[in-house]
Amino acid sequence: MSFFGLNSRGPQDHGHPAQAPGFGAAPDPFANISQNQGLGQEDNDAIDFDDTYDGLGDQLQEADDDFNDDTFGGGGITTKSVGKDFDFYGSTSKVTDAINEEALRYNHHQPSSKAIVASSSPSKHASKAFKTGYEAYKNPGYIPDLQVDASLWGTGPPQIAEDYGAKRSSRGAGPSYPQSSSGVPAKKMMSLEEVEAAMRSQPKRPSPSLAPQQQAQASGPFAMPPMQQQAPQVAPPQQAQISYPQQMPPSRHETEQAARPGDFAQAPISIQQRPQSDHHVVRASQVLKVELPARSSPATQAPQVAPAPAQILQRGQNAPHQAPDAQASPQPRQILQNPNRQSAQFAPRPPEQALPMQPQRRAPPSGQNGAQVSVPIIYHPSQIMHLSDEERNAYLVEEAKRAKRNHKIFLLSKGNGLMTPQDKNFITRIQLQQLMTATGNANEQDPDASLSEDFYYQVYNQIENRPRQNPQQPLSNFAQTYLFRTGGRQGGMGKRQRGGDSHMQRMEQQVQRAVEAAKAKPKNKQLVIEGSLGKISFSNAKTPKPLLNIKRHDSSNVSNQQSSKRAQVALSTTDRKAILKNIEAVYSTLMRMEDHDRRLPPPPPEDSDPTAVQKVMDWQQAFQDLNENLWRDLKVTEPILPDSAILHPFIAFLSYPKGKKAIPRIFNHIDENQRLTILTMIMVHLDILDVIRQAQPGAQPSPLSREQVDLFLQAVMPSLFSYVTEAPLNIVIGLLGLVTERVNLSAVARTRVGLEVLTMLLSRAAIVKATEATDDQTWDEWLGIYNRFFDLLEPLLGEVFPASVNAGQDQYVWQFLAATGSGANPEQQQRLVLAVKDRVMETLQQSKTLPPEMAFQRRGNVNLFMQAIGLDVDLLDG
Amino acid sequence: MADAGDGDVAAVSEPLDLVRLSLDEIVFVRLRGDRELKGRLHAYDSHCNLVLGEVEETIYVVEDDDEEEETVKTIKKQSEMLFVRGDSVVLISPQAAS
Repeated sequence: MSFFGLNSRGPQDHGHPAQAPGFGAAPDPFANISQNQGLGQEDNDAIDFDDTYDGLGDQLQEADDDFNDDTFGGGGITTKSVGKDFDFYGSTSKVTDAINEEALRYNHHQPSSKAIVASSSPSKHASKAFKTGYEAYKNPGYIPDLQVDASLWGTGPPQIAEDYGAKRSSRGAGPSYPQSSSGVPAKKMMSLEEVEAAMRSQPKRPSPSLAPQQQAQASGPFAMPPMQQQAPQVAPPQQAQISYPQQMPPSRHETEQAARPGDFAQAPISIQQRPQSDHHVVRASQVLKVELPARSSPATQAPQVAPAPAQILQRGQNAPHQAPDAQASPQPRQILQNPNRQSAQFAPRPPEQALPMQPQRRAPPSGQNGAQVSVPIIYHPSQIMHLSDEERNAYLVEEAKRAKRNHKIFLLSKGNGLMTPQDKNFITRIQLQQLMTATGNANEQDPDASLSEDFYYQVYNQIENRPRQNPQQPLSNFAQTYLFRTGGRQGGMGKRQRGGDSHMQRMEQQVQRAVEAAKAKPKNKQLVIEGSLGKISFSNAKTPKPLLNIKRHDSSNVSNQQSSKRAQVALSTTDRKAILKNIEAVYSTLMRMEDHDRRLPPPPPEDSDPTAVQKVMDWQQAFQDLNENLWRDLKVTEPILPDSAILHPFIAFLSYPKGKKAIPRIFNHIDENQRLTILTMIMVHLDILDVIRQAQPGAQPSPLSREQVDLFLQAVMPSLFSYVTEAPLNIVIGLLGLVTERVNLSAVARTRVGLEVLTMLLSRAAIVKATEATDDQTWDEWLGIYNRFFDLLEPLLGEVFPASVNAGQDQYVWQFLAATGSGANPEQQQRLVLAVKDRVMETLQQSKTLPPEMAFQRRGNVNLFMQAIGLDVDLLDG
Repeated sequence: MADAGDGDVAAVSEPLDLVRLSLDEIVFVRLRGDRELKGRLHAYDSHCNLVLGEVEETIYVVEDDDEEEETVKTIKKQSEMLFVRGDSVVLISPQAAS
């Protein structure tokens, strides 16, 4: 009979022993005890496993399923009592009761170390426990849950024992165990040792038999590999109860075999034969120098592998008691194998168990594979000797690996638990802060980069809010945007599931603070403590402490404007002043030159001494220097700026009376080229000369301007005329060309100065033509210039005359016309006559009314013109 | 022309050099005794003795009427040429042309 139907696969050929407890059921060691006892193996020494093994196969089978009902809560007495409404708790409570009772009994039994007492006690218990599980509830102090839990975690037994002892006493069974209750409080560990002691002292007594039972129950899963694989899944909850087998067996035993004191002696044997698995027996046999079992069982390989694992698991997980299946068994088995060592084994364990991970890692493999790794050589050196070379090597390798790993983990885990969660939080915040200061503080783009998780929000925010934010924020202030967003985020924190990590919040807050600090810093460069007289200036790399604080925006502009204004004003005023200075400089130079002229040394005679020649040379040198000074002061060679509002310095020089007056004196001390240059300058600027600008016939000429014109005519014209009268024709051509091309002829022609200048040129040409022989080319060139000039002049001929005929001041005009007519061809003369004919007739008519002298003069003026064109006034009169 | 002395440099080095710039120009001269002169400056010296041509002299006279009201009368005189002694000169100012 098998709970899972796996009995046929058991390591033993006979399959799963019928009496072996299923994994779903709580094993009942005592069931076997009674059986074995019944088989007459009382004489068996508790640890004589050979004997136990011999009877294993058959006896188990023969025992059949007598106790299976009891194990699985099936038929039998229990079933009847339960009835059809199957009560799981009933059977469970029976088990738990049995466990508790067993624990109590066991604890009670050890101090006394008398099998009799122990055996007798179960019988008493059995009578009571024999009944349904509900009995427990009759007891007012009964708390089944606590019992189960306590047994699960291994710490319970003493308490359970105490509790149970108390219950016991309440039940009435107490009197028989007064001392037990007092002696119980020892821990389970101690109890095992006591078990060991009991085993030694009284091998045949029930107490030794308890250990085998424990071993059998605990090792059951391990002993049968195929079952073991399934077992851990199903079994554990129940095995938790099993973990303290010594508690359970009595109940089972009691329920089944109502109080048979002698059972205990036999029970161990049967248990050992049982599931216990060959390898357990093997182990035991090895310890006992019996090798047979180990080699006999290998029919399936699983058993071969299993043996080691079983022990390994037991060793590694022994103390924790958290993996019930593995943990429960080790102690008992070790006790079996080498009881003396138990105390020694406990000592080495702690180091291994100090690493919490280790046992757990090994446990999950749940089987042989994982178990192989951890076989400790130390504990069982003898075991290695019995392994094959292959196994031994593998074992050694695995052991080395394990040791290595353990050491590594140990090193790694040195600092485990040093830091509290608060410490970790603190470190994390520091790191975040560093991150922010490293990236966020420098520029504002980094925070954006670091928050790539909010990319879409950022883009959306920019797209959506920029138009609105722009008016508020002068520029795309990323920091502001970032702050805004974080604020919104924090506001909506409740809605959003942020995973509840406070680090992100803190980071955001820190970023916000950092940005705010960065924004606030440049503003507060100075700290003025209230009530103090001084200021404290801050400085950092970005904004160094300003040593000078100069406000320059207004003053600079104002000064610039003022200076510019001053420059403009100065231009006009200093222009006049500068011109006056120039004039005075010219006069100074002129006076020195005139003085110099007076000191002109007499020309040295031909045989003069070198000193005389040197004097002449010095004088000439000094003269040259003075001339250069004069020429520089005249500013004649200043560049001509066309269309410039500023008058040319030389023309401005001429605009002053003393300037005009200086011209004759200047002309005395300058050479021909300089004179020509001055003349050219005057011709170029003829139309803007003050004597021409201010003498236009339209405007009423001021007396001052008339004085200027007169002064000009008196001072300047003679110098010019003197030069022109000696100038060659090509110079005249050039000058006339300048007048016709660069000068507003209409303005010039209507002024006396202009006409006289033109007359000067035209007359010179006429004189050259009349007196000197000129080559045709130059003359043709002159004719070309003249024709152009005449074409320009013809429309102006009506305006050249002064306002009134009666004024009688038109002599210069007639002279001009005469000069023009003398150079004109007949056709031009015809046109000229037609243009001025009216004026001629008027003048002649007027002359008749005038006194004879004046009339003669007038007629002479007109006749001058008429004769120039080959006519005579008399012809007109006629 | 004016007897400008020995100044061989046109640069302005003393106040009277500025007066020199007004040579042959029309200047306004204020004299002690409420007299003003406007004329063309022909010459000057270090004592501010001046030679002016075409001078118009203006004299301000305060007269007491019968009612003891003070009225200012201006008397103008034209002079072709004047010599002004320098100790009476209070002010010399260049007068813009025209």
